[in-house]
Amino acid sequence: GKPQDKYPLDNPENIIYSVCLQCNTGCGIKVKLLNGQAVKIDGNPYSPWTMYPSIKYATDIKEAAKIDGAICPKGQSGIQTVYDPYRIRRVLKRAGKRGSNKWVSIPFSQAIKEIVYGGKLFASVPGEENRVVPGLMDVWALRDPQVAKAMAADVENLWNKKMTLAEFQSKWADHLDKLIDPAHPDLGPKNNQFVFAWGRLKGGRSEFIKRFTNDGLGSINTHGHTTVCQGSLYFTGKAMSEQYAFDSKKGKVDWTGGDKFYWQADTPNSEFILFVGASPFEANYGPAQRIPKITEGLECGRLKIAVVDPRYNKAASKAWKWLPNKPGTEAAVALAMINWIISNNKYDARYLANANKAAATADGEPTWSNASWLVKIVDGKPTEFLRGSEIGLPKISKSETISGTTYDYELDPLVVWKDGQPVAVDPNSTAEAVEGELDVETTINGITVKSSFRLLKDHALSKTIDEWADICGLEPEDLIALAREFTSHGKKAAADVHRGVSQHTNGFYNVGVWMSLNLLIGNFDWKGGMIKASTYNYDGTKTGKPFDMTKNPGKIANFGISSIRHNVKYENTTIFNGYPAKRHWYTLASDVYQEIIPSIGDAYPYPVKVLFQYMGSPVYSLPGGHKNIEVLSDVNKLPLYVAFDIVVGESSMYADYIFPDLTYLERWEFHGSHPNVAQKVQPVRQPAIAPLTEKVTVFGQTMPISLETVLLAIAEEMKLPGFGTDAFGPGRHLKHQDDMYIPMLANLAFGDDATGKETVPEASAEEIAVFYAARKHLPKEVFDPQRWQALVGESWFKRIIYLLNRGGLYQDFEKAYDGEKVKNKYGKQINLYQEKTYKTKNSMTGKAFPGLPQYIRPYADALGRPINDLSEGYNLTLITYKDILHTKSRTASNYWNLAVESENYIWVNPRDAYRYGLKTGDRVKIVSASNTSGVWDLKNGQKKEMIGKVKVTEGIRDGVIAFSLGWGHWSYGSQDVTVDGKVIKGDSRRRQGVHGNAAMRLDPVINNTCISDLAGGSAVFYDTRVKLVKV
Amino acid sequence: MSSSVSGDKLLIMQEDVKRALARPLSQRQWAMVIDLKKCAGCHACTIACIAENVLPPHVIYRPVLEQESGVFPNVKKQFIPRPCMHCDKPPCVPACPVGATFKQADKVVAVNYEKCIGCGRCVTACPYSARALDDGSFYTEGTPAVQGYEKRPNFEYNQQWKRDSAFAAPKGRARKCTFCIHRVSQGLLPACTVTCVGRATYFGDLADPNALVSKLLKQRKYMRLLENKGTNPRVYYLL
Repeated sequence: GKPQDKYPLDNPENIIYSVCLQCNTGCGIKVKLLNGQAVKIDGNPYSPWTMYPSIKYATDIKEAAKIDGAICPKGQSGIQTVYDPYRIRRVLKRAGKRGSNKWVSIPFSQAIKEIVYGGKLFASVPGEENRVVPGLMDVWALRDPQVAKAMAADVENLWNKKMTLAEFQSKWADHLDKLIDPAHPDLGPKNNQFVFAWGRLKGGRSEFIKRFTNDGLGSINTHGHTTVCQGSLYFTGKAMSEQYAFDSKKGKVDWTGGDKFYWQADTPNSEFILFVGASPFEANYGPAQRIPKITEGLECGRLKIAVVDPRYNKAASKAWKWLPNKPGTEAAVALAMINWIISNNKYDARYLANANKAAATADGEPTWSNASWLVKIVDGKPTEFLRGSEIGLPKISKSETISGTTYDYELDPLVVWKDGQPVAVDPNSTAEAVEGELDVETTINGITVKSSFRLLKDHALSKTIDEWADICGLEPEDLIALAREFTSHGKKAAADVHRGVSQHTNGFYNVGVWMSLNLLIGNFDWKGGMIKASTYNYDGTKTGKPFDMTKNPGKIANFGISSIRHNVKYENTTIFNGYPAKRHWYTLASDVYQEIIPSIGDAYPYPVKVLFQYMGSPVYSLPGGHKNIEVLSDVNKLPLYVAFDIVVGESSMYADYIFPDLTYLERWEFHGSHPNVAQKVQPVRQPAIAPLTEKVTVFGQTMPISLETVLLAIAEEMKLPGFGTDAFGPGRHLKHQDDMYIPMLANLAFGDDATGKETVPEASAEEIAVFYAARKHLPKEVFDPQRWQALVGESWFKRIIYLLNRGGLYQDFEKAYDGEKVKNKYGKQINLYQEKTYKTKNSMTGKAFPGLPQYIRPYADALGRPINDLSEGYNLTLITYKDILHTKSRTASNYWNLAVESENYIWVNPRDAYRYGLKTGDRVKIVSASNTSGVWDLKNGQKKEMIGKVKVTEGIRDGVIAFSLGWGHWSYGSQDVTVDGKVIKGDSRRRQGVHGNAAMRLDPVINNTCISDLAGGSAVFYDTRVKLVKV
Repeated sequence: MSSSVSGDKLLIMQEDVKRALARPLSQRQWAMVIDLKKCAGCHACTIACIAENVLPPHVIYRPVLEQESGVFPNVKKQFIPRPCMHCDKPPCVPACPVGATFKQADKVVAVNYEKCIGCGRCVTACPYSARALDDGSFYTEGTPAVQGYEKRPNFEYNQQWKRDSAFAAPKGRARKCTFCIHRVSQGLLPACTVTCVGRATYFGDLADPNALVSKLLKQRKYMRLLENKGTNPRVYYLL
């Protein structure tokens, strides 16, 4: 700042707008700088996350500099993550056995060469003298794009029985050596033995990783972490959003286009929100943007909230009702409500009767459901939808143009019942509106059918409200009161569910029941109802955008079965070997985090040679994560393990190499949005401070070590397609991160309107001056105006400045609404009954997954058998939560937060405390049937006991105990490590509290993995029965 | 019922502050109003304050206390932020042997770091435990390196204070919430107020009947902490 500034932190020249990443909420932030150092972080007032409403996008940046928005305590303490004294600056190579905490720092170029070419890389480590480590060159077997593409198509043919195994083998005889197993070509090429796994990944870096792994190395194995968060919420969303439409890839009508997404409440406009297994005051995407909409709503009388959660979370302190249910019985709560709502005709029959798009449009409804569609009943069970051809209704001839090609096809219509007659339904017809009766059970042409609605009704009424109440452990009167309130606000009510609903063995079905409850009031796309996230495109694939960043002329097609067996039907593959499969196949889910490392351990479906792990700590984060250590520490099971991290953490401590990464204040990302934000947005994370990692040279240019730098360097060494000269096509290279990100910013600056009318203005001379001044501390490798202009030209450069001066692109607050509806609509069909789910087989039992959302008993093994730990005396159910001060594995460095709370506690109800003879402050060990000693075995000679302090509180249900995540570290700067022969002392403050994930139930069938939801993929966090042992 | 989006209260309060600044110091009566119904217990204010004022370990200007009551399932929880009360009859002022602690014309209780001898009498005198001595320590002491963000200047009382040399103020001095008067004098709100996620913290000038704080105290029931001590706090809690 200027010396005369009394207070330099409100000077726009000392401000860079960016996006927080202390959790995944992605609040816009305002990074305040002094002498090149980030010293204070506040909320970006342009972002709808931090102001309610946010200031207009066109607001002058000088004015905005004087306005701070609100962010949470983690956001405030973010600079402590960045300036963590334990940050890694240089490449670390293991100098002892895996997990021994002994390292040497090595030159970057050496690390790249060793990882690319392999060899006897750890000859100095006892026991590994002769071990030859495979390098990336060893897995990069299939390199010919044409061969890869044709082979990929033939693997599909193999699965569709259009080609036999023998035919495949003879056709590809010359290339069988490139396959993992020529006897099972559908495992794919050896390239698949490279796996790239991540914890937190956002846009931009995502494109980098996929270009590198999927299109460069030709591996299908890029896996995220979704199922450790709220997987089954996403994959129920996918199942409910599948459209019955023409699929140009398949060349026929089928279920297609389901989105991995979900809906949340339009918080600022709701009149009633029922938060179920959701804690919007502590986590849940997230405090800064949801809390003010709730507290202001409560204050002015607009809003009432209720909370269903076994734990009295902070939102419960503001709730009309707190309903502490038994964990895992969330669906029973909703079914009691559905029972009452249907029995009392309180549902929106007008909405539900709409059987297709035209009918919905006629009613002014953006969405419609299949509630009236008829489902065939076989042996008393719902199966597939009835098709017109089965009862003599004609097929419908249709024509559709998809990306320039016109397809003529026939639709075998769905059927509804109306006025005593079956009526054909074309779901997407805009011309012929079809409405159906809701409560239908009949026989047509000898086929017994029920409407989807009737199926839900039958299920909800199969038990009385008292019986449902008994299952979930709540009072029937409370459930009726909830149902009455929920149906008393038209479409301005919402049931907003999160992890507490999804992270159970029955998570997929729990979520489905709750979303069905929302369907009953038809609140989707309505102000105050359920809405979806909307983001501006940046990859340039939308019409009119200046740079298509997906172009990749040299791309290698990836194919085969993924290492976590997702998105493939087990029974179609050549390794089908009856039921149960050796491990489950996730046909309806992806990014199944708990499967990645144990599958490597079991070499099923094939052994993996190289694992890259980015910004994730599966050991720490996963239920039963201790079992991951057994694989990560074993060089025979996993020959090469490379981690990207900012600190040596609980997982990266087992790596062979750790590349230091840049933190969120030093890098680029397109953060995206969350379903409770009605505005269309694209927050941009941009470098705010100079990078703290070592500078290296790649493609002849200086850059800091980072994820991008490593991928560029490997690509340069291996000459991977999609990188280097002409990577995006003639004249468009990829030799620097800016080559990817700066054109993406131009795409964003264009907006999404094909006519260009959303394009942001060019920054004024004054704004440009401020932009330069605010970046005077950034070195050329990060900020080089000449390089940027050369990439996108002067006009886009100026528009990018306008965009970056506001931290991304944000739709003005009120523009997100269109009368009583939201502007950014989902606008499609929502499935009550899921035919595609029904047509998917459970690979463990061989049975169809039910198509109807329903209550299923929680706490089951992979074969669906109830786990009975209670009989062995494990009589407390362990649940977790996130305190607002922490984010799972990576906030132990935030000393300011530790000053507020120096450790976590195990919450115990007073009645349980009495039974166990416990009082607040007592130290107890958590033990379970699958971890009877209550320890984390670190496989390095050390064991960490799961011992924590008790807090006796009325704020938790009897029989349930809870601990907050983020504590009880044994790495991440809490442990001594040796680097280059020097001991770096760990900090005991970072070790405090208890981390109980290792007590979480392992599946008795699949012994090295936590119990999981086989349909939706969720890792189970909230069902394990434990004992507390006083120590 | 309809939604009532009409501008974030942060902006409304910022306008209040600007109006107050147009008047002489002696005609400003700064006060804080905290709505207990809206406090979400998030602790953002606590951390924002530490960051803004570069507070060392053991000095927290604005803790948030939690109180649980009731019996399962009829549980209640209340969160109570507790800044300095900026009492109109502040016990800390007479307790100071050197006149370092004083009441400003705008009603803020301030500390003159140059005069303060760090005797700690004011710390004991304050019935709210709102004061602490800066013992000169750093959060990142004992780690591989004390970090720069702990040594950067803070701007309390419109001056620059750098805690990087052994005896430089505010090291060794009594420290307390200043109502962020260094921000307020620039037309900004206190750090705790702008980052109050629940919009439970209000700041403004009670001399101005149109200020949001004045209106709230007219409309709502409120209490102050330890009224019986006769300290006359300038921090009000809406019930």
